[in-house]
Amino acid sequence: IFTVCFSVGYSVVALNHVIDFKEKKQEIIKPVSPSELFPSLPIVQGTSKRIKVLTRLTLVVSDPSHCNLLRSTSANIRLYDIIAVFPKTEKLFHIACTTLDVDLVCINVTEKLPFYFRRPPVNMAIDRGIYFELLYTPAIKDSTMRRYTISNAISLMQICKGKNIVISSAAERPLELRGPYDVANLGLLFGLSEGEAKSAVSTNCRATMLHGETRKSACGVVYTVKKPRKVEEEETAVPACKKAKTQA
Amino acid sequence: MVRFKNRYVLCEVVSEDPRCRQCIEDRVLGLAVRDAITRVHGDYGLACCSISFTVKYLNAYTGTVLLRCRKDSYRLLCSALPFVRYLESRGQRYPCFLNTLHVGGTIRTCQKFLIQYNRAQLLRLLQNCTNEEERQCIQKSLLSCSLTEEQSESGDEEDDDGTE
Repeated sequence: IFTVCFSVGYSVVALNHVIDFKEKKQEIIKPVSPSELFPSLPIVQGTSKRIKVLTRLTLVVSDPSHCNLLRSTSANIRLYDIIAVFPKTEKLFHIACTTLDVDLVCINVTEKLPFYFRRPPVNMAIDRGIYFELLYTPAIKDSTMRRYTISNAISLMQICKGKNIVISSAAERPLELRGPYDVANLGLLFGLSEGEAKSAVSTNCRATMLHGETRKSACGVVYTVKKPRKVEEEETAVPACKKAKTQA
Repeated sequence: MVRFKNRYVLCEVVSEDPRCRQCIEDRVLGLAVRDAITRVHGDYGLACCSISFTVKYLNAYTGTVLLRCRKDSYRLLCSALPFVRYLESRGQRYPCFLNTLHVGGTIRTCQKFLIQYNRAQLLRLLQNCTNEEERQCIQKSLLSCSLTEEQSESGDEEDDDGTE
């Protein structure tokens, strides 16, 4: 699949592991490190950087007790770059948006949603920086799934006004993948405006990656950019100096 | 001045099967795209998009396709392009997908974009190729890419791109 990805023009790819909680005991497996899969990562088209491969974990939760796993001290969870949760009931959706420490909330596209979205948890999720994810591969495969995809997507849009949306594919074969321009056009079908659809593919995904890094490290991520006069780190050090001055 | 404005959509046919490239024809592709529009947008969509719908240019070696449609309905066309799953010709089905590269208002802009794109592709091929002769061939064709007066595509592709 990956050679097709790269030739079509994606710069970052995430491998997904789905954990389902139907069985009694589930151990979180250690993610396969990307360097084992490819000896050398090919270069992105158009730029000279290499393609990044991230690992991602999706938890299918249908019970509140499953959420405890996220707070557990299992070290393996920390190895994943992005964590996504797939809530099945309204309560779990509320919990996922407000308190759980995840980066993405997956929205089911393969069947009619058993619950309606409400505005308060969605707004809280947007404030916390959690993104909602829609899959597009079922829409390409099957006609009934297409209807559910579009109806669920449009109902989500009406509540969240198109912010914080990420469109991704759950492709199992290389032919189910679509290029980024085509995915942005699919966003138009889902009810997004043109600018929102393009950002759903590009900037929102990048923000999700940064959110994942934030979660892995302590509290915030500061990207330092070389300015002609001074570096940003100096600016963040200034408040500390000011505090020292007032104390002294 | 009142005239009909068109949009030209440049796509690339990507497929795993090498035989698929040989059977790309304008009728086959036109049927596949119309079928996708019908599935997604229904009769209304098909009727809107097929006012001025043709396959303007086709390159079987690289799988490049240029489609034309009206400016009012190019959104319907573009949003239905991801749903093309296979090309059917002579009773054979070849699974493939279309990758949209560029949408332009005139053929000339699309051609300019295609030349730049082909140049980038040739550069990529240059990095991957191992044979010294192939390397020289590619370098020669890279240097000779340009927009000529008559509307012909320059910059030939080497046929060792079975991996593309």
